[in-house]
Amino acid sequence: MILSNALLLAAVTAASGGQDAQQRPWNIHVEHIYTGNGRNLTKGLVVVSGGRIAAITAGADEQSDRPEDTLRAYAITPGLIDAGVRITSWESVEQSREVTPEMRVADALDPFSLDWDRQVKSGVTTVLASPVDRNVIGGLSVVVKTAGPESIAERTVKADAVLRGSMGSDPSAGNHAAFGRPTDFYSRRPTTRMGVEWEWRNAFFNTALGLNEKDPGRATLVAALQGKMPVFIQAWTTQDIRTAVFLREEVESRPEFAGAGMNTPRFVIDAAAEAWKEPQLLARSHTPVILPPFPADGRTRDGAQMAWNVAKVMKDNGIPFALSSHGSDDVDQRLAIQAGYAMSGGITFDDALAAVTSTPAKLLGVDGRVGTLEVGKDADLVLWSGEPFQPGARVLATIVDGVLRYEGWSAVQGAAVER
Amino acid sequence: MLPILLAFVAAAIPAGNPLAIRAKTAWLPGGRVLENAVVIVNDGRIVSVGANADIPEGAEVLEHDGVLTAGMIALHGATGASGETSDSTRTAMPEARIGLAVDGRASNFEALRRAGITSIVVTPDASGVTSGTSAVVRTLDGVVLRDPAHLSLVFSTAALTPNREPTSRSGAIAMLNRLFEDAHGVVADARAGKLPCLFEVREREDVIRAIAFAREHKLRGALNGAWLSGEMADAILQSKLSVIVPPLQVGTSKRVLDAMARLSQDGISFGFGLDAPDNHADAMRLTAALCVRAGMNRQLAWQGLTENAAKIAGVEARTGRIERGLDADLCLWSGDPLDLGSRAVTLVVGGVLVDVKGAADTAKESH
Amino acid sequence: MTTTMTRATYAATYAMTLCAAFLHFAPNASASDGRLAIRVGRIITNNGPDIENGTIYIEGGRIQSVGTDAGRWDAEVIDHPELVAFPGWVEAHSIRGMDRPNENIEVAPFLDVRDSIDPINFYFEDCLRQGVLAINVQQGSFCAIGGQGRVVKPFGLTIEDMTLRPSSGIKVVATRPGRSRALQVQALRRAFRDLRDHLEKLVVDKKDGKDSARREELFQGRDPDKEENKKGRPMEGDAPWKVKNFETVPRGEVDEKQSPLLRLVEGKMMAFVACDGAVSVVQALEIARENGFLANTVLVVEGDAWKAADRIAEAGVPVVLAPQLLYTERDPMTGKEIETFVPGVFREKKVRFALQSLNPSAQSLWFQAATCVGYGIPRDEAIAAATKVPADILRLGERLGTIEKGKDGNILLLSGDPLAVTTSVEYVVLDGNLVYDRSKDVRVQQVLEGLEQPNAAPAGADEASDVDPHGGSTKEGDTKSKTDKKKD
Repeated sequence: MILSNALLLAAVTAASGGQDAQQRPWNIHVEHIYTGNGRNLTKGLVVVSGGRIAAITAGADEQSDRPEDTLRAYAITPGLIDAGVRITSWESVEQSREVTPEMRVADALDPFSLDWDRQVKSGVTTVLASPVDRNVIGGLSVVVKTAGPESIAERTVKADAVLRGSMGSDPSAGNHAAFGRPTDFYSRRPTTRMGVEWEWRNAFFNTALGLNEKDPGRATLVAALQGKMPVFIQAWTTQDIRTAVFLREEVESRPEFAGAGMNTPRFVIDAAAEAWKEPQLLARSHTPVILPPFPADGRTRDGAQMAWNVAKVMKDNGIPFALSSHGSDDVDQRLAIQAGYAMSGGITFDDALAAVTSTPAKLLGVDGRVGTLEVGKDADLVLWSGEPFQPGARVLATIVDGVLRYEGWSAVQGAAVER
Repeated sequence: MLPILLAFVAAAIPAGNPLAIRAKTAWLPGGRVLENAVVIVNDGRIVSVGANADIPEGAEVLEHDGVLTAGMIALHGATGASGETSDSTRTAMPEARIGLAVDGRASNFEALRRAGITSIVVTPDASGVTSGTSAVVRTLDGVVLRDPAHLSLVFSTAALTPNREPTSRSGAIAMLNRLFEDAHGVVADARAGKLPCLFEVREREDVIRAIAFAREHKLRGALNGAWLSGEMADAILQSKLSVIVPPLQVGTSKRVLDAMARLSQDGISFGFGLDAPDNHADAMRLTAALCVRAGMNRQLAWQGLTENAAKIAGVEARTGRIERGLDADLCLWSGDPLDLGSRAVTLVVGGVLVDVKGAADTAKESH
Repeated sequence: MTTTMTRATYAATYAMTLCAAFLHFAPNASASDGRLAIRVGRIITNNGPDIENGTIYIEGGRIQSVGTDAGRWDAEVIDHPELVAFPGWVEAHSIRGMDRPNENIEVAPFLDVRDSIDPINFYFEDCLRQGVLAINVQQGSFCAIGGQGRVVKPFGLTIEDMTLRPSSGIKVVATRPGRSRALQVQALRRAFRDLRDHLEKLVVDKKDGKDSARREELFQGRDPDKEENKKGRPMEGDAPWKVKNFETVPRGEVDEKQSPLLRLVEGKMMAFVACDGAVSVVQALEIARENGFLANTVLVVEGDAWKAADRIAEAGVPVVLAPQLLYTERDPMTGKEIETFVPGVFREKKVRFALQSLNPSAQSLWFQAATCVGYGIPRDEAIAAATKVPADILRLGERLGTIEKGKDGNILLLSGDPLAVTTSVEYVVLDGNLVYDRSKDVRVQQVLEGLEQPNAAPAGADEASDVDPHGGSTKEGDTKSKTDKKKD
């Protein structure tokens, strides 16, 4: 069925972006409310007040007595959450050591980067910002809103949310042996996958055995091994995914860790392109994954091959999974369209929605505030011109903490869309 | 016609033999303008300021048919210490004192004098997270007015090098935090509020980080080098930090100029940097003129070159104003100094007269 | 029978030479002489309302009826009530599918992509998989005047099998990457000046009784006694310049290196003019006017060329849009990004526009059309920009773009709405033959369903410039990298 919608609201004259943006009440009338927790409504109203969701009701659109606070669109979803975004530059990773658990990427984020605007335009309202994966253990990632005050601290949803590191070739790339050149730390850093893996084990064992008492990163490693914060490990290929899972199983089973009370780490595999090759392993070890963007020809980074049904394989095996853009801002790689690609690989709309909202919120431990459309949660909302995640639908508006941060309707004259 | 009859370049006025400058116009603190001003200088200091005042007997008289102002203060530069402002093998050396590296008689001070600058804040290079402390130096005799003047802290990517710690912004902040957590010496002074800091910034993100750092460690001081600092006027105002405007050029984008102009509108304390000797000494006055053209309050711009600059440099008790009791650091201009057609004619530095007219390179007499 | 043989041979050769993970589907051996009835749940004719539960009857490679008529009793029947029939997508311009997109010759109108197209390039396989059934292959932009393009089908063992329309147009490049505008425009003007000089010299030589042109004609292999070569004609076309007494020169004596350009000037050849920005649009239109081919010009636009949309509208030429549909620029005062949706601009200025695929696989023409819908272009116009409009631009409007009587028997059978991300191409009927069956497409199984193939194509094999099927350049590359390592 083709639904012709002359959605677009003429009534709105709200300012967007910048310092003029104000928190204000909104009444948002839509054809479809997709809440992210499975309870969807047809023809409904979402009321925003004080930066939070105040009410969600069913029922037809009625003339509002406050037209200036009224928005209309085809559909509404919670703001999208990208747990694999890269809003960071080379200056975000401290390479003078290969293991820097105490480094905080929050200190390296640029609140003025245009990447934030690009995220907002594509409907992403919360991201996990991580250091560039050049170190084995890169440091502490931070969960931040994509819009808000011009200060990372004031936008932070959860500081020091995740310990971030990498398996595979990224942390060893560019390092070299000291062939007669003056040595610097690039000739000390690992040059192979096994070197990278050794650094992980070395850091973990030193922590459990108390051999790194003076190391500034120790407290973070202890917290990670005790499961107080999740460890996000980039691993594109099967071998790296297996290495990460085996590492965790080793920590769980060795007496050194049990004795120190450090045997309950929580791992999440990021950029798990080849997760489809190891569903049993991931299911057995209860390891959630974050998937990188779907590649046109099947090949992704690190020589990994990513099948388009990877999300379905995860779903069928009961493995929690989130989708991500992995930092790409190409139009065809943004987060929303990843959910569409995952649907084309065989998962339902609701599962795809969860993979870009509630699941990453849970993985990041911020599901109390964001990730679903529920009364009392942050008013992070995306208004769509058609069925979300279809290339034929686009973001009409993004609201972050009750503030209208992006208005896309000026670009759309009318839309005909199909479910 | 300029009836100045002093042929010497720099001549000490004999002690007890006062100098009287009679100027058509004098620019006094707070934007007051005094016509037919008489300023008496004795023993290196200003002893009186008045209109049509009597000239003491035996005084040497300098008649000036132009504008008399306090000498300008450049807030950022390396004159006298070129090549000595950083140590490339050390990223953090807060105790390094650039005051000890300045050659007060260096020949390139002359260019500053010609431009009407009587003092300069010689600053450490921004190549590490901190390269030490700055010093305020007079441009004629190398007299050090204040040392240490600021502790330099670098928040721009200039502090990062790919092959030594820190390579990252996170690493640089972590280093600075370690420095302040275990504070001693000048760092402890800065932490106690005794020593202002010079926050080296470039991008807007650097400004935000510097402000957050200053708040966390309760630091005061000035932000140097951010072209768009005016776009963050609210945050800067709240932080109570001053701003040092970096040298601009003809052709600097309107966005940057508008941002600079906002500094005066929003009541932020600001002065001007020069980054001499890499920049021509006239660049500072040119920068101020460009800012005024873009809408910066004219009077505040001038204060940013003189009395407010003295405050930022921490030498307001000695220089920066035509005021009784202060050092006689003065400049005699052919006309309005914010008019680029005007030029410095004579300089008084610490009571010493310097004729800079003859040394002027290409400037024409336009008044 | 011959058809079947060819196709079988093709499949075998294909599998052997490439070890391709993809098997073309041979039609039912009990060939019903090319008679095919396709029954589907919905026919999107792209030419009026959709038909629910309809039948398309194809005979002799052409659509005979669309509606309920099942055609002849002995026709082969494809019955898929769950599927949607849709006309094939049309790629208005592509520089893929050749061994390389350009020669190192600045002015080369005598080249023909026929000699460069590689029928077993993965690109064509991808096109078929995505339902792109006509592709205008043109030379790339590293020249001033490139060779003649060709509209091909993504199926066939030889270039002749594939060809829909030879000499579809000459590539003209208004701005060449990495070269100054002035130099490029000068090169273009000189090319037409050289043509004129050549023609005028022919006239003078003829008058002087010289026979060098005739001897060159013989040398180039044309028969001077053939009727078409023997006759002279006055210069035709709209060019403001004309060569006087040109009718005295037998047409066969025009040098083969110049004759394609003469055809362009005489209005017998189209030009695909690459413009990377608004400035080059103005220059391109000027050169087209000066040489009489404006009416046959299609602008292939990139960058900020949309800023010259008024000039393009005024000239009345259609455009083929660059794959990137959003143009991004920085506001100098705020530093923020401003996005312009390029198709929207051309639509508003009433310029006919065709889309190009973002890539040959996942973001093919359907994706581009869907993106247009997302940005508010009415659905039928968005679809037309990848079907009817490019068909018209390529002068194949009579044959392609819609499902209607008399058109080529090209039908896509889709699993759902053509613009939905979840839809896939299940079957492709080309010229009345079933040539693609997704359930037998091994590469789909590999890429989409994660079944690994032992001889999978290397990544990027569909990029024309990356892979030399004969291995020549690859070897060179290997040697080079070895040398480099030694130096280290």
